[in-house]
Order: sequence, then structure tokens, then C-alpha cells
Amino acid sequence: MTLSPVLQVEGLDAGYGDISVLRDVGFEVAQGEIAAIVGANGAGKTTLLSALAGLLTPRRGRVTFAGEVISGRKAHELPGRGLALVPEGGRLFPYLSIEENLELGAYTPSARAKGRERMDEVMKIFPVLRERGKQLAGRLSGGERQMCAIARALMCRPSLLLLDEPSVGLSPLMSERVLDTIAKLARTEGLTAIIVEQRVTEVLEIADRAHILDHGRIVRSGAAAELLRDRQIQETYMGL
Amino acid sequence: MSKADRLRAWAKPRGVPTFAFELPINLAVLATLAALVWAFRADGFSLNILAGAFLFAGLATSWNIVGGFCGQFSLGHSVFFATGAYTTANLYLKFHVSPWLALVPSAFLSAGIAVAVSWPVFRLRGPFFAFATMAFTEVLLSLAMYFDSVTGGSRGVSVPFRAGFANMIFRDRLSYAVLMLGFLAVSLIVLSAIARSRLGYRLQAIRDNEDAARAAGIDVLREKLVAMALSAALTGIGGALFLMYVRVADPPTLFSLFDVGVKMALITLIGGIGTIYGPLLGALFVVVLENFLRAELGGSIPGGNLIVLGFILIGTALFLRRGIYGALTGLVARFAGKPT
Amino acid sequence: MSAFLQIDGVSKQFGGLRAVDQVAFSVEAGELVCLIGANGAGKTTLFNLLTGQLAPSAGRILFEGRDVSRHAPDRRARLGFGRTFQISQTLTSMSVLENGMVGAFLHHRSIKAAADAAALALELVGLGPRASDRAGALTLGERRRLEVARALAMEPRIVLLDEVMAGLNQTEVTEIVDLVRRLNGQGLTFLVIEHNLKVVRAFSRRVIVLNRGALLAEGRAEEVLNDPAVIESYIGRRRS
Repeated sequence: MTLSPVLQVEGLDAGYGDISVLRDVGFEVAQGEIAAIVGANGAGKTTLLSALAGLLTPRRGRVTFAGEVISGRKAHELPGRGLALVPEGGRLFPYLSIEENLELGAYTPSARAKGRERMDEVMKIFPVLRERGKQLAGRLSGGERQMCAIARALMCRPSLLLLDEPSVGLSPLMSERVLDTIAKLARTEGLTAIIVEQRVTEVLEIADRAHILDHGRIVRSGAAAELLRDRQIQETYMGL
Repeated sequence: MSKADRLRAWAKPRGVPTFAFELPINLAVLATLAALVWAFRADGFSLNILAGAFLFAGLATSWNIVGGFCGQFSLGHSVFFATGAYTTANLYLKFHVSPWLALVPSAFLSAGIAVAVSWPVFRLRGPFFAFATMAFTEVLLSLAMYFDSVTGGSRGVSVPFRAGFANMIFRDRLSYAVLMLGFLAVSLIVLSAIARSRLGYRLQAIRDNEDAARAAGIDVLREKLVAMALSAALTGIGGALFLMYVRVADPPTLFSLFDVGVKMALITLIGGIGTIYGPLLGALFVVVLENFLRAELGGSIPGGNLIVLGFILIGTALFLRRGIYGALTGLVARFAGKPT
Repeated sequence: MSAFLQIDGVSKQFGGLRAVDQVAFSVEAGELVCLIGANGAGKTTLFNLLTGQLAPSAGRILFEGRDVSRHAPDRRARLGFGRTFQISQTLTSMSVLENGMVGAFLHHRSIKAAADAAALALELVGLGPRASDRAGALTLGERRRLEVARALAMEPRIVLLDEVMAGLNQTEVTEIVDLVRRLNGQGLTFLVIEHNLKVVRAFSRRVIVLNRGALLAEGRAEEVLNDPAVIESYIGRRRS
């Protein structure tokens, strides 16, 4: 593992129109790390990922990725630099086939050149996609859709993967499978992953570090295992 | 405060106006317009413009019932306009029925045709519904040209000038302006009554989300037909009044998509679709502007008035998304410091 | 004597796909039944069959002895079926109170009566203070609660909740669980689709498990959630 963090977020302020969502958010993610960002609904998790992925321009602060400042860059410039987003719900193109969705994931010229080869590699990771290759993406079940969305993001060989609530709407079994797959991918493909999740227990079990977002601020950061055992966190986020 | 008081405080002042609340506002607006008519009582040219503006205000207001509140973008309302005109004309000319009385069957027949035509068409969603209504207009225009015993074919129908209140034919322009204001009054009050009633809420629910409306127990088709019938009835009355005003009209004029059917929709959009006073504002703006432009530019640049009107339509679409009414309420809210 | 709600061998076929396969169970008046199962197991399809968005390919649905299998959704709503949708269907141009009123108009004629009834329903779900806000401006959690309020304003005989907890934070989940328990205590019948196992355990009543469109298990929560077949197909070993 290299010493310098692959992603650095400093003093980030972001919001929509008159509404300010993120306030002074700062954290770091090391190379190869799986970082979890957890928090209540409305805390700003999706806003944070949108800001990282270039879908939202931050009002203040800076995001540095692999030594380069990316805050303020447009979203379509980022896959070429190695950053890919799996949006909430996957956002597949429902009337296109799985293969076509994957093809569209190969957005950069270099990825397009190796398109077929990369698709084979990706389908090896997700065999169910090879089986259903020509089926319309809209017909997939929740878990399969999430897998396809992750596969699509992998098509341009990212080094950093951002995932927005990959387990939303999935059964406990499927969400376990999806999170396990992400964990495995990070190890085998050498990916760094930032996972935003509401299912705190599940994501803390596979993450290395975790950050808790509350009302737009990071209120706690630490090793995932430590936070998992923390009584207060258990009560606030995991209990009923 | 007790729980009951708290609930009551939520229910009333917090933006649930009733018809009793709206009616005085209607009357105030109408009184203002009446004062306007009185101010121009000696100016025949202006009275003519006002009459036209009020007529279209009434038509747009009636269109708004089904187009704005119910979200069914009908471009076929000229069919009802024509139906009203021909019913009244034929009853007056052939059976010597006073046009005032003929308004009733005109309204009913327009409503009846609306229900018959809409029943199959309401299955269609979005733009397809609009296309279908346009198609109906063209079909019925052709039929109207064919059945010339009723419509006078291409010669049109012509009402001879025989002044008299019972004939709804007046010598002076002032009476016509008042007549059209009366039509606007009826339209406005009917729209207010609908908007501030169970029917109004159901129509808006249908506009926003038909499936959610059904899940809330609303018989969507039935409510759409009721809205259409009411809207068509008023449009039919407008058509009848129009014919008694101009006293000569042929099918292309009455069935005209651009000058009647589409115009009603455009005026409502410009003024503020889905609001009570939007169509009225739109009509005052568009009709007055049209006439002004025709007078100023119509001579020097042929069609100049239409070009300018076109730009204004584009301008409002781009910048006044919620129409004139929306822009005005936005200004008022900002002035009063409330969040819009 | 037939049950309050009886589902008699109901099936739904979409071309070659059997989304619901001869499902049969009954719900007694005043019960609180949870319906669980993986995505694609047929839960929402079953709900759509119950509330009338779809008609069954085979079988019958009896409500208080009356065959409602082919009744349109609005007719069933008038008979007492209230439901929420998986993707929130609020009426965005209208205010929060007006949304509630649309439901209240089912049994009230005048605006004042409907407004009062709607205000009561809003208070039950905790949306009272937001009564005059545009429904489109609400957060996801608030929109879900608004849908529940609209259903309650209809004074239903049975309420069907479709994943109403998805995307809600811990506090909101607890509030809705309490609300449902309270209303059920007063005799309102509930049929609830849920992925959140903590919620299912918290309700700890009868649970019905669907898998691939068919009934897999049925019984008290404690038994069903420990059933090996259910764990295998739905819960996953880690979560059981």
C-alpha cells in the first residue's frame, strides 16, 4: 500500500440552490481501501458522492484524486481518469440489453478499444450476466441489476469505485451477496472503493474504514471494526 | 390550544380556500373589468377589442377545466365552439327560438358530443390524446362542410341584422362587451366552483398521477368526462355568443385549430395553466396585444404582428414558466418576504 | 365462512413468466401480516393483484366474502383497500394537506370536512407541521409518510404497505413501526411487504414468504425466520 492517499477531500461545502447540504467535509481514502460512508437518510451521502463524481460542483473545498485536483471537473471527464460511479438503483438503460449496457460503460477510447476483451473479463466476475447477456436490462431482478451496474462501472477499468447504496431494496441475502462481491473485487482487482450505505451493520462488516455523516458533517471516522463494536453507534444506527 | 383548535388552524388559513372565499375575489375581478368597459364606453374600437378579449378569456377559462386542472391537453375544443354556434344559429334562424334560450341546448349538445368523442380517446396518454383531439377537429370540419343544410357549407351561416334584446343582436358595441363579460363571469365562477370543490381536487389528482388517483378511490374516466362535459358546455355557449356577435361564420372559421382550438390552449399557457385567473390574464394580454400589433405593424410588415406574437409566445415559454399569473404571484410573494 | 381477505390459488402470468404461482393464504380482520421474499419473488405483483392494478390469470381474491378479483383499483379503494407504492406516488403539484384531502374525499364531501380529516391523518404520521408545503419539496421519508397519510385519510378497512421503510432513517422507521402497531391495536388490518428483518421481527406476527412467485413458508415470525429454506433463499446465513 502506498503512503499517500488516493482520494483526499478537504473542506467540502456543497448543496442545491439555496440549500446547503455538505458542510466542511474532509476525509481521506487510502489506496486499496474499502471506505464506508454511513448516515441517516438526508445526511448528505448521495450529495457527497455526486460531488466526488463531478455531478455536482462544490461551493468550497477541494477533492484530490491520485494527486490531481478533480473538484470542479465535469462528470464525463472522470472515468478517463479512473473514477467510476455506480449510482443508486444502478440506473441501467432498461430498454437496452445487458451487453449493450456494458458496452456503454466502456466510455473512454482506451476502454472501447479493448471492449470485447474487457466484457469477457467482467462477465467472468459476474457469470449471471453472461447467461442473460442479450436480455433487456429492465427485466433483471434487483440483485442482478446491481451486479450489472457494478459491471458496467468496471468496464473502463477504474481505480476508484464509488457506490451509492448498492443494497437498497434488496433482500438480506442479495445485499450480502452484493457487498461481498464488492469486497472481493476490491481485493482481486486492486480497486479502492467508497460505499455509501444505510445498512450500517452489513457495510461495516466488509469495510476497512468508515465515516459517519450527520447533517452534512463527518462526525466520526475510524476503523470499521471499531465502529461496529461501538455501543453508541449501535444504538443510533443499527438498533430498533 | 386544544388539539381541535390546532387542527382547525391548519385546515383553514394554511391554504385551503373554499368557494366562499373565492367568489368575492371573482366578483372583485369582474367589477374591475366592468369598470374598464365603462371607461371605454364611447370608444367602439376599444370595446370591440375588449369583447374579443372577454370572449377568449371565457373560452380559455372553460378550457382550463379540462386542460389545466385535469391535465388533459385537448386541442379539439373548436368542435364544441362550432357545435354551440351552429345549434344556436339553426334554432334561431329555422325555428325562431331566441338565442338566449338556444344557449341551453347548445351547451347540452356540446357536452354530449364531448362525452361521446372523449370516451374512447381518454384511454390515450399524453401527446396521443392531443393528436386525437386534433384529428377529430379535422374530421368534424369535413363533416360540417358536407352537411351544408346545417352549416351553410362553404357559404357559411349568416344571421341577418335585426336588432333587439330577445334576438341577442345589438346596435352598440357596449352591449356586446357586456355580453361577453357576462360569459366570462359565468366561466370564471364555474371554474372557481370546480377548483374549490371535491371535483377540483380529484381532477388535479388525476393530472398529477392517475394511478395514485385510482388507488385513492377516484373513478378516473368518469371524472375526466365530467370535466370535459362542463368545459365543452361553456365553450359551446362561447361559440353561440361569437356567432351572434359576428353574425357570419363558415366552418373553417369556427373549427379553426389555430384561431380557436389551439389558441384557447396557448392563451391559458401564457396566462398560467391550472390557475383560476391565468386564462383571463392570458386572454387580456394576447388579444389586446394582437390587435395592437395588427394596427401598428399589420400594414407596414405583412404578418409583422404574427411574428412579434410568435416571439412573445416563445419568450413566455422560456422565461415565464408558470405563466403571467405565476410571475405575478411570485413577485408578490417575494415582495412580502415569503418563500415562493 | 371465508376470511376477511382470502387469496385463493391466485396466479399471474406475463407471457412465459409466472410472476405469481398459485398463492393461497388468508388474512383475518385485525391481523398484521408481513410478506417477505427476494426481489422478483412476486410480492409487488401480488399487491397489484390485491389492489386491482392487475387482474389474476387464475384464482380468486375474496374480500369479506365478495369476489373482487376483477374489480378496478378505484372500486377496491372504495371497498376499503388502502395502499402505498414502492416508488412514492405523491401528487407533487399539490400541498401536503391537499394530498391527504384527495384520500379524505372518499368519505367526505365538503372541503372543510376533508381538510379536517386530512389534517388528522397528517398528524398521525407526524407531517402536521408540513401541511402547507408543496408535496414535491418533501424528502423521501416524508413522501413515504405522506402516502401512508393519504391511505389513512381514506378510512380503509385494510392497508397494504409496499416497502414503506425503504430509504428511511432509524428514527423514521421506529415512528412508522409504532404507528402501524398502534393502528393495528385499534383494529386496522395490515399487510406489509418488508425487507428490513428488524422491522419484521419487531412486528413479530404472521409472516408469509414468497419465493419465485410461490408461497415458500408461512407462520409466526420466529419460526419462519429460522426456517432453513427461508434462510437459504432470502436471509443469508450471516443475518440469521
